Amino acid sequence: MKKINLTLISIATIFALSGCNDTPSSPEAKIYTKTAAEVYQQSCIKCHGKNGEGNTKKKSPALNDRQAGELELDLYDVKNGGTNQSSGTDHDIMEHNMQKLMDKGYDYDPKAMAEYIEKSFFNKGTVKSVEDAKPAVEPTPVVAQ
Amino acid sequence: MMKEGMELIDAHFKNEGISRRDAIKMFGASGAAMLMASGSTTEAKASSSVKAKILIIGGGLAGMSTAARFSNSLDNPDITVVEPAEYSTSYQPGQTLVGAGIWTNEDVEYKRDDFVPSGVTLIKEKAVEFDPENNSVKTSGGKTLKYDYMVIAAGLKLDFARIEGLGISDTITSRGDDSAVRKVIGQNGIASIYFANGATDTWVQMQKFIADAKSGKKVKGLFTHPNTPIKCGGAPKKIMYLTDARLREAGARDNAELLFLPNGGKMFGVKEYHDAIVNQFEARDMKWNYRHNLVAVDPVKKVATFNRHWKEKGAWDADLEEYSIVPRSEKIEKEFDFLHITPPMKAAEEIANSPVGSSKGWVPVHKESLQHVKYPNVFALGDIAAVPMGKTGGSARKQYKVVVNNIISMMEGKELEAKYAGYTVCPLITSIGTVMLAEFNWTKKPTPSFPLDPTQERWIWWLLKVYALKPMTQYGMLSGRA
Repeated sequence: MKKINLTLISIATIFALSGCNDTPSSPEAKIYTKTAAEVYQQSCIKCHGKNGEGNTKKKSPALNDRQAGELELDLYDVKNGGTNQSSGTDHDIMEHNMQKLMDKGYDYDPKAMAEYIEKSFFNKGTVKSVEDAKPAVEPTPVVAQ
Repeated sequence: MMKEGMELIDAHFKNEGISRRDAIKMFGASGAAMLMASGSTTEAKASSSVKAKILIIGGGLAGMSTAARFSNSLDNPDITVVEPAEYSTSYQPGQTLVGAGIWTNEDVEYKRDDFVPSGVTLIKEKAVEFDPENNSVKTSGGKTLKYDYMVIAAGLKLDFARIEGLGISDTITSRGDDSAVRKVIGQNGIASIYFANGATDTWVQMQKFIADAKSGKKVKGLFTHPNTPIKCGGAPKKIMYLTDARLREAGARDNAELLFLPNGGKMFGVKEYHDAIVNQFEARDMKWNYRHNLVAVDPVKKVATFNRHWKEKGAWDADLEEYSIVPRSEKIEKEFDFLHITPPMKAAEEIANSPVGSSKGWVPVHKESLQHVKYPNVFALGDIAAVPMGKTGGSARKQYKVVVNNIISMMEGKELEAKYAGYTVCPLITSIGTVMLAEFNWTKKPTPSFPLDPTQERWIWWLLKVYALKPMTQYGMLSGRA
């Protein structure tokens, strides 16, 4: 039995290493009931503002200061509670809120939402300071060099 | 130590009814087959005759593999790699095995100069200034380098300085000058496999810990995981599993308490693997306590301070139509005999703070094409790229082909078609002789390459880890083929 396993793995290794199966299987397509624009206009807008400018009083960060690639990483973090095995999330509060919002039907594809926010707000509204762009919770400490 | 490790492996094989010679023969054969097959089957595309000046920042696994694949794919390559570190192409995944005394540093240390692809110009300096508006980079030696396409693969820095009480003020890389850190990490029961000498010192500290336990002393080992993205997300647990295995081997497990203290609230982002790890921890009497972030260490008193954090119900939020949540935290002190630190990690300052960086430091790219969000002729991959998960050699192995394909497409005036799907692999070492091969991608589902239940610990994955992955990386990937 062990011999069979070893043979199997060496064959599989050759296969994997030869690069012929490198094309990833396409992720299961998830159906969202609302478009990114609908979710933003019906829900996100309440705290992040009609120009994505954020709301300091509610500690909601601005979203109009970053482009889609950067936003998508944050949205991924929010929806998945982190981007790494056990590091946790940069968005402790929003991770919790997002679960509640998803229960209410405000779910979205992070890529589509990031693109919508960039297209609608990036470089269009008031330019926010870097301070406001930081997440409200546990800002990353800056280390003096 | 290597000999001892090999004897252990032999003993394990013997139990399984297989000789080491047979195992090596198998993997040797598959390695050779890989190299023979690769020339014809894995070229990125048909050889392209387009010309452009390609600048690669960083000559580690990601950068050097990218350079090699460009060199294989272009008729007239004009490729420059900027890499200051002499041992940048070392086999980092082996540091876990060094930390547990199974390998030694000699098994994982590889000289950069032996892996520079032919025809590639190497500049042994650091890139210090980025001017992407003018397609230009300045080096530590004062050179100005112009490019048509730039690939940023500069890796990341270990930020022990963020932990108070250690007296460390500089960030370090996993290889190179570590004097700022080694004076305290690797002493007094404090260890970290995340830098090369630290891995060697980890084994020394671990042996002392085990000797204490064996002598009858009740000892306590703590294993941390920070609040930043980290490279090799599994290593903080792997070194704990290996400590457990070494204690058992010494017959001293009952005298040791082992505790995993991660900042996050789960073992793994993929539920199937999370559940499997929880079961493995329970089976080994390895304990854990979520939402603890290491913030300070007193190396003399052997006390570690953690920021323990949790959430409490707050006031009604009319916008959310839910109760709001209030973050709470407190400082918790824990004594230790052995403390394995996984340090906070970040992008190098000179890149993070440049126009190609971002508010979080990592180079912001579109996560599928790996193209920079602001500068279309700039790409990033490896540890420094701002993509979810990733930060493993296995991710880089998928990413470098995407970057090369997409840049060649751009050079030829075509659409960017190559896409990275978030593939990451974590060969989670669960004991000396078993590994759970956790493969996954952004679907957050297991994506096994082999038709076997991926949540099982298996000895064949141990063989893969110990015998096959290193040659695959050093000779397959760094030559731009596998």
